Amino acid sequence: MRRTVVAIVCLVIACGCNRGGSATGSATSRPRIALVLKTLNNPFFNDMQRGAQQAADRLGVELVVQAAERETDVERQMQIVENLIQSGVQALALTPSGSKEVVPAVVKANRASIPVVIVDTRLDTGAAAEAGVKTASFIGSDNYEGGRTAARFVVDESKGTANVAILEGIPGHETGDSRMRGFKDGIAASPGVRIVASQTANWERDQGFNVFQNMLQAHPEIDTVFACNDMMALGAIEAIRAAGQAGKIRVVGFDAVDDARKAIREGTMAASVAQFPDEMGRIAIENAVKTLRGEAVQPDVKVRIELVNKGEK
Amino acid sequence: MSRALGTRVFARRFGATAGLLLLCALLWILTPYFLTVANLLNVMEQTAINAVVAVGMTYVIISGGIDLSVGSLLAISGVVLARALKAEWPVPIAAVGAIGVGWLLGLANGVGIALGRLPPFIMTLGMMSVARGAALLATDGRPISGFDAAFRALATGHVAGVPAPIVLTLLIYLLSYLVLSGTRFGRYVYGIGGNEEATRLSGVPVRFHKTMVYGVSGAAAAVASILLTARLNTAQPIAGTNYELDAIAATVIGGTSLSGGEGSLAGTLIGALTMGVLRNGLNLLGVSSFLQQLVIGVVIIMAVLVDRLLKEKRA
Repeated sequence: MRRTVVAIVCLVIACGCNRGGSATGSATSRPRIALVLKTLNNPFFNDMQRGAQQAADRLGVELVVQAAERETDVERQMQIVENLIQSGVQALALTPSGSKEVVPAVVKANRASIPVVIVDTRLDTGAAAEAGVKTASFIGSDNYEGGRTAARFVVDESKGTANVAILEGIPGHETGDSRMRGFKDGIAASPGVRIVASQTANWERDQGFNVFQNMLQAHPEIDTVFACNDMMALGAIEAIRAAGQAGKIRVVGFDAVDDARKAIREGTMAASVAQFPDEMGRIAIENAVKTLRGEAVQPDVKVRIELVNKGEK
Repeated sequence: MSRALGTRVFARRFGATAGLLLLCALLWILTPYFLTVANLLNVMEQTAINAVVAVGMTYVIISGGIDLSVGSLLAISGVVLARALKAEWPVPIAAVGAIGVGWLLGLANGVGIALGRLPPFIMTLGMMSVARGAALLATDGRPISGFDAAFRALATGHVAGVPAPIVLTLLIYLLSYLVLSGTRFGRYVYGIGGNEEATRLSGVPVRFHKTMVYGVSGAAAAVASILLTARLNTAQPIAGTNYELDAIAATVIGGTSLSGGEGSLAGTLIGALTMGVLRNGLNLLGVSSFLQQLVIGVVIIMAVLVDRLLKEKRA
């Protein structure tokens, strides 16, 4: 038995020797660019991947897409970045799983002289400045403006009087915080629009259900929900249905994913703020390629946002 | 009898090592980026955290138990560490404080199991939620970040050209190995896992030692939290989610038996490296993230299956 194993190992090593020479030479001459996403089990990032892939095909670059299993697993994302650096990618487009936590990974890319383009979630400015990291470009939605857009919709629809519940994203995440800040600033001028409850449901649908169910118990006066993403909004809609209040509570989400658009058509959801992740992916790859060619890129690209409600789409 | 046991243990450890070597050889053929000094150091650095958590898990599993709370204990210890560092405590004192918290919570697990006679699965499942909740409460769910270079050196520094986390991990393994194989406590851990009743009848204070085993596990998780916090320059209350599963996987790939009484730290280190190499290799090859999960699962099952076959053949 032991001898068999040793024999197999020797054989494999022998094969390795044969391949050794050709393996290094087999690398293609097309530039290799990596896109590291937060996760791949979210339609938002699937769209981003599609946009990036189309841009890569058009520009003749090889695109490697990797993601951690869980959206919040920053340690795993850091490992992926380290491994991609080892695999000799020439540029890196990254959607940070954590605004602060990912900074050491960007430091490593900088040290390896690999240009980095940040997509979707901004690096924490303080942490980035302290570590002295350099990024070529940031591409993302204006989440703050999206929050204001949602607020404007709520103010208009409610004619200035509403009891609002907010479903927050994971605390400390720049994306959710900006949306919420935008929303709060947006309603500030309308004293009749009050926030009666605000809690996190960690971006998730099932938690959106539970958290909103509890909110409704404590505050039966709630007539409007602003959820910082559609998953939580869809969870809240189920809770509303379970409470027999379908159609009586105005639900506003964020991202305009397919399920949310369907809910808007059916009338269970009032509106959602659409982002354009495919455009983000496209611009990310374009900017990465430009950086590689030594061309100047816009350091801060704001991708358009759009309110989707029943009348419009 | 002892000879048979000897060969069995040998077969287990040998199986895991052969598997790791085979994997490395395969990756060497498939990608030119794998077998470079920089990449191998990279893999070992990435493996360090799981490897350290798995030290405690190995003690627990050898004693016939399981510890599902290690990920959460890692998070709460990290939060304590971060708070202490932010309060400008010297690094060694903050580190000892964090390890102390991990150790105490681990002991609490042990007390529930040894004195309260709760099944380890239930007690540590409860603690998993308690410690996670405490970490979230203490931080309001927000990460704590930005530490001095002196602390970050634990992740970014080098000792004679070798990254500090690797050196620390090896030291921890050496120390834990000496305790497990060279002390009375170590022998009792095997004894309790092999036959608790017989161990108790031979006059060993089983409940005390069982409690200490979970203390070791909590302390190991806390040491891992120090490495993780330095690495990310951040302590997160949601850090370490699912780390218990990685640690259990590393332990069983390394040939430690889930039924207790048998296993080794050397095997666990090989097991942790196997998982690290696998993840690294799949990244280097640009394999789809979904396929990666599938492959890792298959490897865990295959490793334990081959191990079992080898063992049965020898026995």
